[in-house]
Amino acid sequence: MKLPIAWLRDYLTIDLSTDDIAARLATLGFPVDDIVRRPNLSGVRIGRLTRVEKHPDADRLQVCTVDIGTDRALTIATAATNVAAGQVVPVAIIGAELVGLTIGPRKMRGIASQGMLCSAEELGLEGAWFEDGIMQLETTLPIGADFIEMFRLNDDVLDVEITANRVDTMSIVGLARELAASLGVAIVEPALAVAASTTASDTHAITVSIESADCTRFVGQRFSNVTVAPAPFWMRVRLALAGQRPINSLVDVSNFVMFETAQPLHFYDAARIAGGTLVARDARAGETMRTLDEADRTLDARFLVIADAAEPQGIAGLKGGATSEITSATTEILVEAATFSGPRVRRMSVALGLRTEAATRHEKGLPPGLADWAAARTTFLLESLGATAHAPFAVGAPLAQPAPIAVTLDRIEALLGMSVTAAEATTALGHLGFNVHGASHSTSLAVVAPFWRGDIRIAEDVIEEIARIVGYDRIEAVMPPVFDHAVPSQAYRDERRVAHALAAIGYREAISLSLQPATIAQAYARANVSLPGDVLEIGNPLSEDQRYLRFSLVPALIVLAAKYRGDGAYRAFEIGRVFADAPEPNETSGVAWLLALPRGEDPPWRDTGFLQFKGESEALLRVLCGRAPETVTTTLAGWHPGKTASLVIDGDDAATVGALDPRLLAAFDLDARVYAGWMRFSDLPTYRVPTYRVMSKFPAVGRDLALVVGPEMPAKEIEHVIRDTPESTIVDVMVFDEYRGSQIADGRKSIAVRVVFGRHDATLTDADADAEVAAILERLRERCGATIRS
Amino acid sequence: MLFLSAHDGASPISALNEQLLNLTDRLTEALALATDASALEDVRVRFLGRTGEITLVRRSIGTLPPIERPEAGKIINAAVAGLEALVDTAVSALAFRALDAELERYVDVTFPGTTRAMGSLHPVRRAIEDTCSYFERRGFAVVIGNEIETEYFNFDALNIPPDHPAREGLDSFYLRPGLLMRTHTSPMQVRTMQAYPPPIAIVVPGKAYRRDAIDARHSPVFHQIEGLLVAPGIHLGHLKGVLTGLFRDLFGPQQAVRFRPSYFPFTEPSAEVDTTCPGCHGTGCKTCSGSGWIEIGGSGMVHPDVLREAGYDPHIVTGWAFGVGPERIAMVRHGIDDIRVLFENDPRVLAELA
Repeated sequence: MKLPIAWLRDYLTIDLSTDDIAARLATLGFPVDDIVRRPNLSGVRIGRLTRVEKHPDADRLQVCTVDIGTDRALTIATAATNVAAGQVVPVAIIGAELVGLTIGPRKMRGIASQGMLCSAEELGLEGAWFEDGIMQLETTLPIGADFIEMFRLNDDVLDVEITANRVDTMSIVGLARELAASLGVAIVEPALAVAASTTASDTHAITVSIESADCTRFVGQRFSNVTVAPAPFWMRVRLALAGQRPINSLVDVSNFVMFETAQPLHFYDAARIAGGTLVARDARAGETMRTLDEADRTLDARFLVIADAAEPQGIAGLKGGATSEITSATTEILVEAATFSGPRVRRMSVALGLRTEAATRHEKGLPPGLADWAAARTTFLLESLGATAHAPFAVGAPLAQPAPIAVTLDRIEALLGMSVTAAEATTALGHLGFNVHGASHSTSLAVVAPFWRGDIRIAEDVIEEIARIVGYDRIEAVMPPVFDHAVPSQAYRDERRVAHALAAIGYREAISLSLQPATIAQAYARANVSLPGDVLEIGNPLSEDQRYLRFSLVPALIVLAAKYRGDGAYRAFEIGRVFADAPEPNETSGVAWLLALPRGEDPPWRDTGFLQFKGESEALLRVLCGRAPETVTTTLAGWHPGKTASLVIDGDDAATVGALDPRLLAAFDLDARVYAGWMRFSDLPTYRVPTYRVMSKFPAVGRDLALVVGPEMPAKEIEHVIRDTPESTIVDVMVFDEYRGSQIADGRKSIAVRVVFGRHDATLTDADADAEVAAILERLRERCGATIRS
Repeated sequence: MLFLSAHDGASPISALNEQLLNLTDRLTEALALATDASALEDVRVRFLGRTGEITLVRRSIGTLPPIERPEAGKIINAAVAGLEALVDTAVSALAFRALDAELERYVDVTFPGTTRAMGSLHPVRRAIEDTCSYFERRGFAVVIGNEIETEYFNFDALNIPPDHPAREGLDSFYLRPGLLMRTHTSPMQVRTMQAYPPPIAIVVPGKAYRRDAIDARHSPVFHQIEGLLVAPGIHLGHLKGVLTGLFRDLFGPQQAVRFRPSYFPFTEPSAEVDTTCPGCHGTGCKTCSGSGWIEIGGSGMVHPDVLREAGYDPHIVTGWAFGVGPERIAMVRHGIDDIRVLFENDPRVLAELA
């Protein structure tokens, strides 16, 4: 909302700087988004052209004699064509500062010109919005007066942000009232006029009826003897500063009152209202009308229209109709000040893609009382322009007297944490236009909100008003006590533990957008990899890039790995939700981690990257669970069917780790050895605090065994068989190498195992260890078909 | 001790002494010539080993009269101890010379170091964690809710009117009628209050979704941290206190908090929260457009309608709620001026910010 300080000062004597006004508005809840700095103009007087003659030596110049209230008239040559004797215009005298120029004496084709007649642009106003040439002022203005001062042309313009609940402050008066209240003063209310009742001889009466609940109130008022002419300069300049192009006296009054009071108006040419009736009703399907912006619109029942006997004359609160538009021939008008359903106006505005100043106000829900006030203000302005006012009439809901709201001083303190006296509260509310009943020593106030404050309904609303004016800065910062409560934090702590553990083993966290384009699922399809479920689709996506919710955390990590340009390994993880559409839209909270390694040389039966990734993943689970996981072969769509394992804790699958499906990597153009893990937080085992185990004080004995076994014999089985004896001094068993090739016959493989023996009560002898090894080899031979590698 | 020669008819003891003296001289000489540990060991073996020279001397005891043998044994043992001490001294002197040599060596300490792969937490998570840790220290629970939310918890229960623009699909991502991606983490307010009796002290970090085109300041997916404290006697001053502490924790001890009136349907009174600009400590800079303050969140006293919807009596308990943006916190901390940087996950940037 544009707030010209020049206009603000009509209602409020204020000597604060622009920045101070902006700061004060911000503390009241009206942050200033932007300050439009006005140029620093000076030396412009109001002058009358007493004589205008053609320049003797230049066809395109005219020489004006200009009275600026001084003893000697000025001689000013101008190239403008719209000058004539008798006009009153802004005159820049020698030394004047205008936009981009300083006026000095100069000769124009031999004639000394003692100043310049001003056009709008030289005064920092939109050129196209004013006279083409020299600006024309009312002839009643005082000759010689300081033009800049009179019209406050140096006052800056603020762009104020208005919250959705304060439509009343989408107005100059509304904001003036806020500032006045914070300064502890009252505003100068705009002058109103209420016309007497209509004379009996009035034959042009227009009747209005309401057929839709979305028009709550319609204040109508007819004016006769209106003339369409340029509006007074003071009005035009205020509108221009507020960003509104001046059109003519009638349109300008309509806009002026809207900017002043927040109530949008519509002016109909009363003579062109068919049948002398207007009705607020739903549009009929297929009904057409031409709106003021010369657009032909086909309507349907979504639209609320104001229609005469023949056709719609306006879309409620949004745009008037062309048929009853004000023209230069208009002499008789009907003013509409109506209250419509905000949501209805907003939906119509969206449906037509049409944003108007009126709609932005209507859609926030205007308080009905504003209509009567705006009509009275319109009456004053139109009467001052020579129109004859008929009595206003109102259709629809009568204005309800708002019920008093009880506010206690205790409640104020309970919410704000600061004490406010009854006197302070009464003063603050009074300046905002509230009526407060309750003695100054009372602890309870009965508060009645003014008619323009539709947002005040409960005591808390009133308390906010008091706080705004008294100042939020008075609230002291104190620490609340610590409360005992039962709400658990487990889910968050799990996420935190997982994130820290992954970071500790070298993985970098990524956070990617959970919305994604169709290309992700398409890549899976290209790779012939099935999706984990039906992809969840946004019903109203903003763009194709964000049409779907992610079904897996892995693709984003693959994309990041594909972008990685560094040497060596790339490690990343993401914690977040994945989504599916069946049976109902649902989400799963989980974590994915990924290791990408440069291509390396491995025989087909070995994948060193897998072992590295598995080792890191086991370490992760060990830290998270307080105990080591077991590994079981598994498969999962998106992972390599022969290189994927489930990490199992206490018999339950906790996580899946393995090499990613090479077809998927190809679909994402990722040429690397890539491994990923996936764990649902619901599968994360409870952390079990590890129990202390006494470590032997005696040295252990290690023996390395080189075994030859069948190619399918899992390392885990060998470890198991080694350990599977009731009495043993085995401390640790580790398969640490595998070899296949020419030195091993029959496609068998060689496995190296280190077995560590030890006792808690004595140093183990070599003989003891040898005996154990012999027993182990016997078990391995029997149960694994193992032979000693020679 | 008196050393006498055995050859000139003097006593055998003096001859022994003479012999030992000679041995000592030769050992000293040999040690002086040995320049490394193995040479020293050779010397030790040659003189003091089982077949070394000292053994020959020991054997000569047998040639002495029996009465002098004990005396001779003592003399030899004492001499051996002395000789071993000489060797030990030479060994440690050599070791010390070796350390001296090591001390002479030096490297280019400016040469780049090497390390194993480093992991890191995302700057947004760190903002979330630092914020939540602060609140956990003050007895708050941290809860996280679902990102798919019903219109009831996202809007109705929060006193957002049925006709509010946010509901119409211009601002929110809908999945089905009545089901959408949550537009804030505030739904957990009522969900938590409905599940637990007062007092409630929670913070709610998590993702939220708005139908915004992505640009330097907006992202359709972003994070929010909601805070809620509901108990008897809670007021706005407590919120100011808690948030002042939070921003001092996050940005430094100079931070202050300023409330500005605002409007949210689920709080009344409502306040925008500003904190001292960490960039200039309040003197005014580009980050804060010269104001000395930055906007950091929204807040207010929980609207009585929201408390009632949760089954709480607004005459018995009061409470406040606030929302801050972890992206905003991270951007202010790291001087990031484009929110997209946070979702690109450029490993160079993540390493730099870690």
